[in-house]
Formats: sequence, C-alpha cells, structure tokens
Amino acid sequence: MLKIENKADIFHYRTLLFVLVLSILTLLSRYFYLQVIEYERYSSKSQVNSVRAQATYAPRGLILDRNGVVLVENYPTYILTVTPYELDNKEAQFQIISDITNISIDELSRRYKKYYQGRFLPTVIAKNLTFAEISQIEERRLELSGFQYKRFDERLYNDVLKDAHFLGYLRELDRESIPFLDKSQLYRAGELIGWQGLEKQYETELRYSKGIEYIEVDTYGREINTINENNIPAYPGKNLTLSIDSKLQKFSKNLLIDKKGVILVSNVDSGDILSMVSNPSYNLDIYRGETTDSDWSNLLSDEDKPIINRNIAGLYPPGSSFKIITAFNLIEDGLLDPEDSLMCTGSYIPPGSSNTFNCWKGDGHGLVDLNKAIAQSCNVYFYETVQLIKLADWTKTAKIFGFQNKTNIDLPNELIGQIPDKEFFINTYGRWGWSERGVLLNLTLGQGDILVTPLQSLRYINHIASRGKTAKLKLNANKKVEYYDDILLADQTWDRVINGLYDVVNSEGGSGWRAKQSKVKLYGKTSTAENPHGEPHAWFNGFFDFEGQTYSLVVLVENGGGGGAVASPIAGEIVKFFTSEQIEIVNK
Amino acid sequence: MSFFNNYIYGSNEYLGRLYLIVSSLITFGLITLYSISTDPLSISSSFMRQLIFIIFSLFVFFVLNQINVKTIHDNSTLIYIISFLLCFVPFFLTPVENTYRWIDLGFFYIQPGEYLKCATIILIAKYLSNHQLEVKEGYIVFIPILIALLSSFLVLNQPDLGTAVIIFAPVLPMMLWAGVNGFTLFLLIAPAITIIAASNNMIFNIWGVLMFIIFMTFQGSLFKKVLIYFANIFTGLLFPFFWNDFLNGYQRQRFIDFLNPDLDPMGSSYHIIQSITAIGSGGMFGKGWGQGSQTQLKFLPVQESDFILSVIAEEFGFFGIAAIMFLFFMLIKTLLDIAFKSSDYFSSLVIIGLTSILFSHIFVNSAMTIGLMPVKGLPTPFVSAGGSFMLLCFIMLSLVSNLSKN
Repeated sequence: MLKIENKADIFHYRTLLFVLVLSILTLLSRYFYLQVIEYERYSSKSQVNSVRAQATYAPRGLILDRNGVVLVENYPTYILTVTPYELDNKEAQFQIISDITNISIDELSRRYKKYYQGRFLPTVIAKNLTFAEISQIEERRLELSGFQYKRFDERLYNDVLKDAHFLGYLRELDRESIPFLDKSQLYRAGELIGWQGLEKQYETELRYSKGIEYIEVDTYGREINTINENNIPAYPGKNLTLSIDSKLQKFSKNLLIDKKGVILVSNVDSGDILSMVSNPSYNLDIYRGETTDSDWSNLLSDEDKPIINRNIAGLYPPGSSFKIITAFNLIEDGLLDPEDSLMCTGSYIPPGSSNTFNCWKGDGHGLVDLNKAIAQSCNVYFYETVQLIKLADWTKTAKIFGFQNKTNIDLPNELIGQIPDKEFFINTYGRWGWSERGVLLNLTLGQGDILVTPLQSLRYINHIASRGKTAKLKLNANKKVEYYDDILLADQTWDRVINGLYDVVNSEGGSGWRAKQSKVKLYGKTSTAENPHGEPHAWFNGFFDFEGQTYSLVVLVENGGGGGAVASPIAGEIVKFFTSEQIEIVNK
Repeated sequence: MSFFNNYIYGSNEYLGRLYLIVSSLITFGLITLYSISTDPLSISSSFMRQLIFIIFSLFVFFVLNQINVKTIHDNSTLIYIISFLLCFVPFFLTPVENTYRWIDLGFFYIQPGEYLKCATIILIAKYLSNHQLEVKEGYIVFIPILIALLSSFLVLNQPDLGTAVIIFAPVLPMMLWAGVNGFTLFLLIAPAITIIAASNNMIFNIWGVLMFIIFMTFQGSLFKKVLIYFANIFTGLLFPFFWNDFLNGYQRQRFIDFLNPDLDPMGSSYHIIQSITAIGSGGMFGKGWGQGSQTQLKFLPVQESDFILSVIAEEFGFFGIAAIMFLFFMLIKTLLDIAFKSSDYFSSLVIIGLTSILFSHIFVNSAMTIGLMPVKGLPTPFVSAGGSFMLLCFIMLSLVSNLSKN
C-alpha cells in the first residue's frame, strides 16, 4: 500500500529472536535458581524470619491556651486487636472475649467486619480495656491466639474547656475515607484523625509523623526480634497554642448559664480570639471510648442544637447594629448633615403608604440628630434617612464590612449568612412583590432576610474599632497577624459613628447604659432582633481600650429579650473581668 | 462473522495468536491482582480499577483501529510534535510526588512521556523508510539518534530516567532491521560498554582486546579505525578520574539522586530482599492463590505494579513464572513474525520499535524483581496494575493491528 516494500532479512529476524531467547532463558534460569535450587533457604527465611515493617506512633500535639494551660492532651488506653488468620476458633474465642469485656458477640462481629483490613493484618475489636480485663486476657493467653492488646492514645479534655466547640474532636478512620486523604500522612483504617474544629484545621501540624520499625516475625506473626537497622523514628505532633484565655472563656461561659447564646471576646489589634463561648454545648468526652448510638441520636435531635458552634454556624438577624451601616452610607456619601435633627413622634408613615411603622419608644424621641439616633437607637430617624440610600449602595456597604463572606477564621465549616440584594428579592418575592423603599425600612433595622453569624458581627465591630484597618480573626496564637482588605472611609465618618457608639453606653438615655464602666471607656451598640422563634434575640456589640490594647466583644442571648436590658449587663461583666473587679469570681 | 474477523484480524494470520496471548496475560494479571486486593470487589481496589482501565483501553483500541496506516505515516512528524509538546504540560501543573511526569485527568493519570516513546518510533521509522537506499552509509544513524536524544532529554528533565532509557531501546533493533551496517552499530554501543568496563581493570583489558579483534575483522579505512579505537580506550581510562576526582561525593550523590528521584528512602535493597524472599519461597509449585505469606503480610512493597511478578512467583511457583515467561516469549515472537511478514517497510519498522519497547519493559521489570537490575519503576506490559501504561499497551496493540492489516 505504501511506497516501499518490506525487505526484512531473515538474518536480522534470527538475530533478534536469538537475543529474545537468550534474555528469557537468563531470566528463567535465575528464577529457577531462586525457586528450585535455593528454595529451602528462602522458604525457611520466609517462614522463620520474616521481616515485618510496622508503624510506630508518637503522641499527637497538645492544645494549649495563651497562658500555657493544657486544654487537650493525650490519654493512654488499651485496645484489643485480632489478626484473622491466627484465629483457631473464632466463635469460641469471641465468646471468651465477650465474657471478659461484656461486649456482646454481635457487637464484636460487627466491629470485626467494619475494621477488617485483610487476613494478615490486625483488626481493632474493643477499646478502653481496663487493667482487670487485660490481666484476664493475659491469663487465657493460650486460648486466645491471634488476640493482642496495644496501647492507643485518645484525647483528654481539660475540665475547664470540656465543652468548647472550637476544639473539635478526633474520629476513627474507616476504609472508605482514606483514598480522599493526604497520602504522605500514611493514614490507616482505625487511626484517629482530626474531624472537626481546630483538630481538623490543624490536623497536619498536630498529627505525629509515623515511624517504621522492622521486626522479625515467625509464620504465626509472633515477634521474635526487633531489628534496629533502618528504623525510622516517629516524631510527636507540634503543640498548638491558642489565643484563647481559658479563665476568660470559663468566666464568659458562666455568664450564659441557663441561657442560649454566644459570647465572643477578641483583641482588635492582633485579631486574637480570647473567648468563644457557644451555649448550650455538650461534653466533648463523648468522642472518647465507646459512644452508643442512642447517646448520639439524643445529641443530634436536641432542639437546642448543642452540637452546633453558634459562633460560626448560627445564623441570626443582627437587629439595630445594622443602623450603623445606614449611618456609614449617610455620612460618607454626604446625604445629610449629621447635625440636622428630625422629629420622632413614635411612628413613621412612608410617603404614599397607609402603613404605620412604629419606633420602639411609643411616645417618640422628640428631636433626633444622628448621634442621638445611634445612642438611643431611634427607628424613625433611620426609617426617614434610609429613604435617601439606594438598595445597591446599602448592601454593598454591608458586604464591605464582611457580611455574606467568611471571616476566614482558622476553623472549618464557617457559614456566610445572607445579605439580601435586588436579585434575592426578585427570586423570593417576584418582580412586583416588593419595593426597594419597603425592604430598606426593614433592612435598616437589621431585620427581614438578613442573617449573620456572631463571628461576622465581631469582625464588624473590629472594623469600626480599628477604623478599617483590621486584623484577621484567628484562634492560633502563633499565626502571623494578617489584615482584611482596608475599609477606606473619611476620618470624619469614623469619628461620627464612634462618637455615637460611645453615647450608646455613656450618654443619658443611651440604650446600652447598663454596660457602662467607671474605669474604661466602652463603646457599643445594642440590638433587639425580632425573629420568628419567639422572644427577640438580645445583642451587644462593643469595644474598649484597656492597657494600650483594644478589645472587642459580642454578646448574643438567643430569645433573651431586649439588647439593652439583657445583653448589656453581660457585656459590662466581661469588661469588669479585665479591670480585675471580678477576679474572685474567676478564681472560684 | 467474516466481517468481524476481517475487521479485527485484517488478513494477517498472526493477529489471532497475538490477541490470544494478550488475553492470557491480562487474565493472569487480574487473577493475581484479585489475590492481593484486600477487598477486591470494592471500586477502589487495584483489581476493580484494573478491570475498568482494561475496559476503557479496549474501547480506545477499537476506536484507534479505524485509523489507516497511511494517515499515521503521513502525519508522523505532527504526531511527534504533539506528543513532544504534551510532555511540557506537567511542568505547568502541580508536581505529583515531586516529579513532572503526570497529567491528572481526574479519573486517572496519564504519562505523556509514555506516548512520546511511540511517537519517537514512528518518526524514526518514517525517516529510515524514506532513506532506504542510504542505509549502507554510516551517517544514516545520526538522525534517528538525534530524534531519540531529543525525546530522551526532555523526559530526563521530568525527571524520569526509566522512560528516558527505554526511549533508546528501539533505536538499535530498528536500525538493525533497516539493514544498517553491523560495524556501524558496533561503534554506537562500544563507548557505553567501554565506560561500564572501565570500572574493573581485568574486564577493561579483555574488552580492549575484543574491541581490537572486531575492529580488524571489519573493512574500512585504517586511520579511522585506529582513531576510533583509541578514542574509546581514552574515554574508558578517563571516566574513573572524572567520576572519582572531578566530581566530589556530594555532586555524585546529587547526580544519582537526580537520576533516581523515586529511590525508596528506606533503601531499595529492602525491596529487593523482600522480593527475592517472596520469589524463592514460592518454590516449584507456589504457595497457592491468595496464600503467599510474604505478599499477604504486605512485606512486599508496590506489589500490584512493580513487583507483581514476585507475587506470581510466590503464589504460583516456578511453574507460574515459566508460564508467564512463555507467554512473554510468544508475545515478542509473534510480534517479530508480524514485522517479518509485513508487506510494507515502514509498518515493519514501527512494529519492531514497539516490540523493543514491550520487551525492554518485560526484561527490566523481571530482572529487577530478581535483583539483576536496580529498582526502577517500570511496569510489566498487560500484567501490572496501572492505567496509563495499560492504555499505552493497547494503543501499541492497535498500531500493530493497523500496520499489519495491509
């Protein structure tokens, strides 16, 4: 078909065939030598002295608070493994184990199946063996060929922070998850891996590096000898030092007893979170040892959702703190003179509408300028002024302050909440089912389809406290300080808003007067967020300078009532912790 | 049915035999993989993955079977350029295990260097077939060597020493097949042997005498012969100085590390010892399917790909190895037959090239398991687990089938 005809030479064919035969015969003779002539030698070598490479472990890194208090450490337990091919009578042997450990045979068989890795590899079937159990197993050693107990480290939580969601927990790896993990870490089924919270976030740092040890074993897998050559030692994981102050964390936790909600305290200058409480919570010890399915389903079905870290995964309407978003728009864009006053008569009727919108103060605030409107949280002032702002500008400002965006704190599974924009309203209410002016009346009060996480609220107050140059929030004390994108507003804008926040706490009639402190200047904003689940949520977002540093705090009491009445006093207590007035409570 | 026969076999009687051998090898590989998989029927086991790769490769095989030989011949330069450029892609991706050899396609990895091997062969075959009248001249060898050098150099930078060496494997057999003068071929391999022989005085002396005899036997200008002879001797004498004195230990180690990025940190001798123990303890008849203690206790590393022959040796014994070696022998012999009977010169050369590649994989891999060669991650054709290479084997198979249908 092609131009040139094949003129292969029979001599060349024979040459190549000769090379082929020679090579194959060389290989075969070597195989023959190894397998037939030297068979005895290698057979006994494989039977008597097999070298098994065995993984060795080192402790996982500890988690410490900023003052070096150990929050999470390791706790040695004993586990029972079984090597399938060494079993001589599985039923009878399982019966013995069941008698010793009081675990039913069904349960033992279930675990045997679940963790099975191969006929020659040990499978974990029981955990947390007591010394009594170990000694009974040791006594019946001869009947229990194939069973072995081994040391296995679990996590032990400090009593102070047993219920801090952000710590997270470890979980046993099953075979299905392994292909999705980092191969270089050499994960195996049955090992523990950080599954939530900081344990997950810092898995690579906290995890030990596995070592390898070569052991001579006989045909039954019994260890004869350890070979020290070529061993690779295991190294412990790195410790993780948190920015959390465990005393403050405990103190804040006590302020929320019998309440649902959140307390966040941070250092504005470094972004360090000092306290992150989410109540109700649950005891992290549940992840240790054997957890029954009913414990789990109780935890998961609890209506108060103790399993959720509300700080990053609870979504709430923010309430009046969002009036500041309106204020930023008004001043920065020069839409009104902040000194100008409006008359609050206790209600507002939008032009061309017959609906009445009420101020929370029924008989009105009288003449109100911007400062007083922020300090006393006057609804009517913001109803009237928000009419000057476009919806798109308003939502843009909210997003600049980090809403509907992750704070990128070093925790997994953070939610972003929702800032409704034009598209959202069209999708939700139809093109004609809403009006820009109408929805702004809701949005300016931080109500109606807005959802934020408490951590976003903390970021928001930090943006204000630092005048737009704000350190990123973090829990790892040794993580380098990084900054969010700068928020560039005129000095005068920041001044106006910050003065307003000062008056919230410190002026006569300010809504947050209950938080007022004699020793430090506290700035803040109360919110009372209406919601469909019952009483309003009480919020207080604030910041204060103390000993040259700026600190911020967010208090949220779910369905607690008024922000001024419920959240402000709690905020005040937290400031007192700093000024040492509460030291004796802390040390109790 | 005759249409089907014609479609698959063309008019060539040997293709049927070839397919039978390949099916046997694949079955052998699958049986072995089933034995070493912990949970063979789960989708992530090497057995199931291999099965999926084979089905996928078969599909590719049937698609490529449609392509005409003339298309391949006429576009050989284009095929080479595309394969060559494809080798640059991994340098723009995140490195896999610190090398730039792989392109991640999501469901599996492909190794463009593998395909460059085929493209290099096709280009060399085209050159040799277009210059058939000049093959008796010495200079004919330069272009094929340059093409192989170019491919090899690129692959070496990925870095992938195994593939870089394998690219050279087809050059000599193809030139021999094309009818290049035997003395010229000897001159090509002489320097390499000289360097290796230089490591030992005794061997070097024997080689010097042997080389002298060969030089005298062949005809040619005496001056040229003397020049080349002494060039060889000097290379051999200088190489140890260069290696020992000119490079310091650290540079030597760097060079070795560069060539062997995947050298096991625990020392490759551990692998070889485990492999030889597994093979030796298999004995004449083997320990039985799924009963190999070395294998099943996971003493044997990378057993599903690099050391699959050791698994076969342990579980099926010398008989198993003899059977698989017989299949390998028949595979290569059948391919040589096809090349010999082929009516077209270009096709015949390409088949010889592909055969050399398959054979060098078989040889290097087997030799490695029994400690005759250093550890190098070259898989065994049709038997080892691994998607990219299995696909390549089927592509080579479809090339052979296309080329022999004339």
